[in-house]
Amino acid sequence: MEQIDYIPSQVNLDAVFHALADRTRRAILSRLIEGDASVNEIAKPFDISQPAVSRHLKVLEHAGLVEREIDKQRRPAKLKAKNLIAAVNWLADFRPMWGTSFSQLDDLLIEMKRENE
Amino acid sequence: MTDLPEFVLDREFDAPRELVWRAWTDPTYLQRWYGPGVETVIHKFELEPEGVWLNEMKMKNGSSFQKAIFKEVTKPEKLVWHHCSTDSDWNTAANLMMPDWPRILLTTVTFAQSGDKTNVRLSQIPLDATDVEIACFAKMKDGMSGGWGGGYAIIDDVLAELKAG
Repeated sequence: MEQIDYIPSQVNLDAVFHALADRTRRAILSRLIEGDASVNEIAKPFDISQPAVSRHLKVLEHAGLVEREIDKQRRPAKLKAKNLIAAVNWLADFRPMWGTSFSQLDDLLIEMKRENE
Repeated sequence: MTDLPEFVLDREFDAPRELVWRAWTDPTYLQRWYGPGVETVIHKFELEPEGVWLNEMKMKNGSSFQKAIFKEVTKPEKLVWHHCSTDSDWNTAANLMMPDWPRILLTTVTFAQSGDKTNVRLSQIPLDATDVEIACFAKMKDGMSGGWGGGYAIIDDVLAELKAG
């Protein structure tokens, strides 16, 4: 079998699944798409505490989706877009198995019904 | 046994049950819809208990191979099979991209007639799985039901952003 190598090695898909399975973390990613942000800035629109945001950021960091500046006081979080894209591209191959297949089955059944008439 | 994670998908199809059954069990039809927007090649299809279905999905970076071993074929109501990910020689093997994905999923599909429509229920449960495989499946299952749409909206945003930048 051909080796599939388009996932950067720092992307751990199990960690990515875990990270993306949470609504708040997805919202944090959406926020970071707009630009780097500190914990404070991220927490603002959400009804959650800064420590909670920090915990979510740790999960996103572990998944390789976010990185934090070390040297700056406010330690802004930054999206690692390439890793997110690599992971989701792989998911796009794998995840929609049933959803996409069933849509294709809908179309085929319309054809089959026509053939039957 | 009872606390194994189960992935359940209920779906209504706008066609009578006989037709839906045919779409699932005639390989000519099956290979036209099975697989997420990829070319699917059915190498073998034996619709009987212990018969095998050898399936290849041609992904853009290489093929993915699955072997199904039918366990129950009750026309036109029910199909049960063991769904195995395999290597290119059809030996049960770990998924290369996700080594912890269960190698075997007990897959049950039921077809219920409802007027002119058919209700299909798909159920998948890890079979003979390790704790790690079960945990991986449980996480994936939660991800699927917990709004993958959201995840995909994010990637659309990211791609748009990168194109603009």
